[in-house]
Amino acid sequence: MRDEQRDSSIERAIARAFNGGRYSRRTFLRRAGKGAVVAGSALTLPAILAACGIGPAGSGSPTASGGGLVGGGEPAGTLIFANWPLYIDQDEATGESATLQQFEEETEIAVDYNEAIQDNQEFFGTIQPALAGSQDTGWDMIVPTDWMVGKMISLGYLEAFDVAASVPNFVANAADTYKNPSYDPDNAHSVPWQSGITGIAYNPELTGREITSFADLLDPEFEGRVGMFSEVRDTCSLALLHNGVQPKDAVEADVRAAMDVLREQAPLVRGYYGNEYAQELASGSLALTMAWSGDVFQLQFDNPDLRFVVPEAGGILWVDNMTIPKGAQHPNDALAFMDFVFRPEVAAQITEYVNYICPVPGSQEIIQTHAQEAADGGDQETADYLTSVAESELVFPSEEMLANLHSYKVLTEDEEELWNSLFQEITQG
Amino acid sequence: MAAWLRRRRGLIPYLFLLPGGLWLVVFFVLPMVTMASVALQEGTLGTGFTFTFNIGVFPEVLGRYDEQFLRSLLYALVVTILTMAIGYPMAYTIAFRGGRYKNVLLLLVILPFFTSFIIRTISWKFILADQGFVLGTLKDIGLLDDGFRLLATPVAVISGITYNYLPFVVLPLYVALEKIDPRLVEAATDLYASRLQAFLRVTLPLSISGVFAGSLLAFIPAAGDYINAELLGGTRETTMIGNVVQTLYLTNNDYPQASAISLILMVGLIIGVVIYTRVLRGQELTV
Repeated sequence: MRDEQRDSSIERAIARAFNGGRYSRRTFLRRAGKGAVVAGSALTLPAILAACGIGPAGSGSPTASGGGLVGGGEPAGTLIFANWPLYIDQDEATGESATLQQFEEETEIAVDYNEAIQDNQEFFGTIQPALAGSQDTGWDMIVPTDWMVGKMISLGYLEAFDVAASVPNFVANAADTYKNPSYDPDNAHSVPWQSGITGIAYNPELTGREITSFADLLDPEFEGRVGMFSEVRDTCSLALLHNGVQPKDAVEADVRAAMDVLREQAPLVRGYYGNEYAQELASGSLALTMAWSGDVFQLQFDNPDLRFVVPEAGGILWVDNMTIPKGAQHPNDALAFMDFVFRPEVAAQITEYVNYICPVPGSQEIIQTHAQEAADGGDQETADYLTSVAESELVFPSEEMLANLHSYKVLTEDEEELWNSLFQEITQG
Repeated sequence: MAAWLRRRRGLIPYLFLLPGGLWLVVFFVLPMVTMASVALQEGTLGTGFTFTFNIGVFPEVLGRYDEQFLRSLLYALVVTILTMAIGYPMAYTIAFRGGRYKNVLLLLVILPFFTSFIIRTISWKFILADQGFVLGTLKDIGLLDDGFRLLATPVAVISGITYNYLPFVVLPLYVALEKIDPRLVEAATDLYASRLQAFLRVTLPLSISGVFAGSLLAFIPAAGDYINAELLGGTRETTMIGNVVQTLYLTNNDYPQASAISLILMVGLIIGVVIYTRVLRGQELTV
């Protein structure tokens, strides 16, 4: 399962060349905005159809499942699960996931696992027509990012459940940061899958100094070597924090002020990136850039000099969540799975592979135990790798780091339009 | 059936056209009608879109994104000129001097198509990277200033598009040049034309159909390109109209504006092509 971490450096270089890093689904495809280029053109038709045939959200009967809570029943024996690419442990030789196999053996629920989500907006586009028409989307469990969870809740697109009764392991084992989040009070519709930090990454050799704050991204000294994100929520949130405003409290005037900062910065910026920033950072074209923590953790295997910092004024903790779309056929199976992955040993198994922030703090100790076992078994390379995962602040952030992280604001439709149009003027003219 | 067909021989051409026609109706005409309808709708994803015959969207997007429209056309024009300048000598050499290597040379021209478009474009990022083996080396030996870069500039975007569409230009040029009887050129020189005159008055006019096809095959997709602009550009100064459409569709969910831009681009290109065809045909007659 960890063989892929030991790939020859050439193979890694090739993979990185074409994907901008490999194990991370974000490095590949996290494009809330401009979309993965290939997928972008493929979306056009469904998007048009969605635009054509669909009335307002929730126009159909909103009570596909009676409007109450799901859960409490017997699993049906099937779970159709849509997740992001490379976002679960996977044996490189067989392609099997130990986590899924173990779940199937224990519960006799067959998991139909699909790497179907490449991008929040785009995936939402594929299920929105069914949801608006009060029909089953075909998925029992999907993994949207927190702001999308908030948006889907406000549209009435997610099933509610009693988290204490249905997902007791979440209550017992999840870190407090993930409980009762602003985008989903009381975790009534979602529990976290993995999370990560939006902050700043830099190459000290190229910057020639330590980078500590968002103000460094505005320094004319780095003209043409600064990278920013094309995802407005990330970029604008960091600018808001720089201005001393909590993203979740931002009103229109704050957003406009933050956009002014970004507009002034624009001439210094080399580009507004999705995943490709990782590749530009690795190749030395960018000296400093906004970054996602999991990517930097992996880039550090090739270039240990690279550093990731949470800006002094604060960074963003984003969370991808397991949710049940409205009208799902097998909600009890989805809840069984949610409960299963909050066992520390299962969470550890997934984290060892995906290297994002694990919502279960107890998994750290288990990964250390695995490292010890590998060392005892004479496999020093695996032991070193596992130790680096367990000790990394990017996988298990310190309290101090967490205290300086904030959530995205859940935007209303009007706000979303404002943010998008202001930001588009900055990035595209 | 056979007898029936024999009696109505006139129908046969239409029957042959049927599969292609159906294909176009399903995959071109229908989406086009849908697009036109979406362009005239108003609304948001949350409230739904309703058809309001909002014709005002066209002047709105033209005014808002005029810069990106013009930039796309300018880039496409430069790309067409560059592909011609590079492609014509290539096609000429293969057609007249290729000898028994003709097929190998043609294969080499289309060889890049065996790899994905995206991969080829991304490789350009590596070739042109600030610290990559080209710029890095030139900087190390002091030929270039340390801050010099090609990526994220119009030069990179135009080079990328030129590279990607070059084979589309070479192939029709080759076909046109290959058909020319060398004896015509010989005859011209026998009649005291210099080599240059023979080229300008015999070879070039006879290959004009290849120039026409090749330039359209480069210009039209280049004007709508967004991948090169995104991967090799990515700044406000290199944003093409295709990038705007992509953002409007995927990020802003503003389907009407995106559809309106696509329609304007398409109609604009059609008008341009018609004018171009006329001009070129007139040219052909006067030569």
